[in-house]
Amino acid sequence: MKKNQLRWLLPLAALPILWLLYWGMGRDTYVLPSPMAGVEAPAFQLVSFEGDTIKLADLHGRVVILNFWASWCIPCRAEHPVLVQTERTWDDTEVVLLGVVYQDSRANAERFLNQYGGDWTHVFDPSQRTAIDYGVYGVPETFFIGQDGQISLKKVGPVTWDLVQYQVDSLLAAPVAAAGVGGAGGAP
Amino acid sequence: MSPGRAWILALLVASLAWPAAVLSQDVQPDAGTAAVGQEAEPPPVEETDRDALTDPEEEELDARAAEVASGLRCPVCRNQSIVESNAELSREMHRVVRDKLAAGETPEQIEAYFVSRYGEWILLQPQARGINLLVYGLPVVALVLGFFLARNRLRKWARAEGAGGTEAAVDGAAELGADDEQWLREALREG
Repeated sequence: MKKNQLRWLLPLAALPILWLLYWGMGRDTYVLPSPMAGVEAPAFQLVSFEGDTIKLADLHGRVVILNFWASWCIPCRAEHPVLVQTERTWDDTEVVLLGVVYQDSRANAERFLNQYGGDWTHVFDPSQRTAIDYGVYGVPETFFIGQDGQISLKKVGPVTWDLVQYQVDSLLAAPVAAAGVGGAGGAP
Repeated sequence: MSPGRAWILALLVASLAWPAAVLSQDVQPDAGTAAVGQEAEPPPVEETDRDALTDPEEEELDARAAEVASGLRCPVCRNQSIVESNAELSREMHRVVRDKLAAGETPEQIEAYFVSRYGEWILLQPQARGINLLVYGLPVVALVLGFFLARNRLRKWARAEGAGGTEAAVDGAAELGADDEQWLREALREG
């Protein structure tokens, strides 16, 4: 190997490292990549506090905000006012806010709601199969589902009002496909 | 090739292998960052364990489920499979694996299901395709390259020994820069 060759070999060896540094520093570590965005929302059939069976397929044609939460989860308290505001802003004929109680008891969930307010529907996922079907890591996690049943965004961590407003406005403005049944796969 | 250049070449190979290894892991969320703004671990929840299984078919199903589940990462732990983890979510995922096997799904279908929900990060072993191939391929390339470098080096040393000791060794260093060569000759003279 000639000395001339070394002259370009050394910078060349540094290139992958520099590229890795550039790539690592340029990305937002708070954004978790998820394969769920852009796919059809998995179907579910869960029972609400009131004993009603809620099916995703029945909500087709409306924007659905699916929020996994628990009373023991501190960030869920932080985002709760945003969800209260969401419920007040849109009519449920347009936008359905659905809380999925995750690894929690009914008594604790109800105590939480009595304390912090919120009249939207909450369902239980006792086996966590729906949570697994949605690729949930922990709570809070929120899925924005369009009128066509496609997930537009999975938000890990507390939602902000700006995010909700942007997502819902975009989904309401999006053209609705004529056919299609909400729900793919389904909880095992 | 001089030892210095061999080192440079080895560094080049390592610098190529390193980003590939990091990439294959880092494109997926880390369990630590997954918990940012979240509470991943819930308080203990009462769970009714399945009855003790004595049926050989059930035991075989359990063994197969454990094998598949051992390749799936616990979403709320650090580098633990869902078999090793005691987290509530992991135990339920383990049950999902078992149920799917009982329903006749193959291990590949089950892995594909979890990848479609959690991303490839859920697999403890990266799939051998795409950029992941670098993780599998580069160590082999580095090993082969290292073998040939070491062999050439040893042959050169053996030749230098055979041709008459230190003088030959100095001749063998003909590829060195003039300054290095001067320094080496002086060092040998002093020694």
